[in-house]
Amino acid sequence: MENLKISENKMNLNNELLSEDQKDILQEIMNIAFGNATADLADVIDIYVELSVPAIELINTGELSGYIDRSLNSYTNAFIISQKFLGDFNGHGLFVFPNGAGHDLVAIIEDTVTKDLNSSPAASLEKEIIMEIGNILIGACVGKISELLNTAVIYSPPKAIIGKSTEFDSFIDSFVPLQTVIAMKTVFKFLQKDINGFIVVLTDQESIKWLKTALDKFMESYQ
Amino acid sequence: MIQKILIVDDSPVARKMLKASIPKDKEYEIYEACNGKEGIEKFKEVSPDITFMDLTMPVLDGYKAIPELRKINPHAIVIVCSADVQPKSIAEVFSLGALTVLKKPAKTESVQNVMDQANGKLKNLREQNESKQ
Repeated sequence: MENLKISENKMNLNNELLSEDQKDILQEIMNIAFGNATADLADVIDIYVELSVPAIELINTGELSGYIDRSLNSYTNAFIISQKFLGDFNGHGLFVFPNGAGHDLVAIIEDTVTKDLNSSPAASLEKEIIMEIGNILIGACVGKISELLNTAVIYSPPKAIIGKSTEFDSFIDSFVPLQTVIAMKTVFKFLQKDINGFIVVLTDQESIKWLKTALDKFMESYQ
Repeated sequence: MIQKILIVDDSPVARKMLKASIPKDKEYEIYEACNGKEGIEKFKEVSPDITFMDLTMPVLDGYKAIPELRKINPHAIVIVCSADVQPKSIAEVFSLGALTVLKKPAKTESVQNVMDQANGKLKNLREQNESKQ
């Protein structure tokens, strides 16, 4: 009974922050943005990405670690590229990939981009490639969301974090406690090597007010 | 000429955006379905002149739904409207028999263009049918 009450309270809070209609709009915007991002990636690398329907969740910052842990469930270890973006639309883009699957990516793209990277040691090469793919996907995805919502963002340089590490704990701790973030998550698969990963765009609470107005304005243009 | 339009997309927002981008030059009968499976059922029920089909959907995706529609009507006019515009995805849907691909979010001008293209195809099909009779 108590759990039901907590769940109802959480649902009410979530609805206050973002209505069901606004969640639907955000889901479609994320779908468009990630679709564009994969097409941008295909322009650079001969790679095919199978997409899934995005999921939108409102999460308390205290639950963020658990959310990412749940998402990482299928990986024994994860490699995370994190990139902060700033503007009216403010938050973090995370590109999450199984650690060690980088060598499969190297195999996929060695004909297209490794000429300049041949001198790098294998582990470093994998890291550079995952960093680059993460950077392209996060940048294109967040950039398209910003474009559709009629704003612009600036990016900080991408950072590589190993999941379930002290670096990861510090990343989680960098979020302001007792706030709500919006997590927009899309799972993808690089079909050539059957590698699954996901991208999450986390919107800070300070952006939510702006985001609600921007989503309503976006949809007004289709009335 | 196009009279009946079927829109198959899991997102109510995407369906609304596409409906708003359909030219207002005439009244169309617009039907909706929220996944490929429902789309096939609706297609059988209303026999649309054209079908706008998303690709990434739960239950049954567009890649699987398009061949099913074309089994029901080999001349079915399917326009893919998707965010997935990777070259391989586009090549795949053309091989399945889609007339063309619209990149989301579709603008009125591009919807008008594909509807003109579809009208041309419908006209050809009708002329072929008439010459057979």
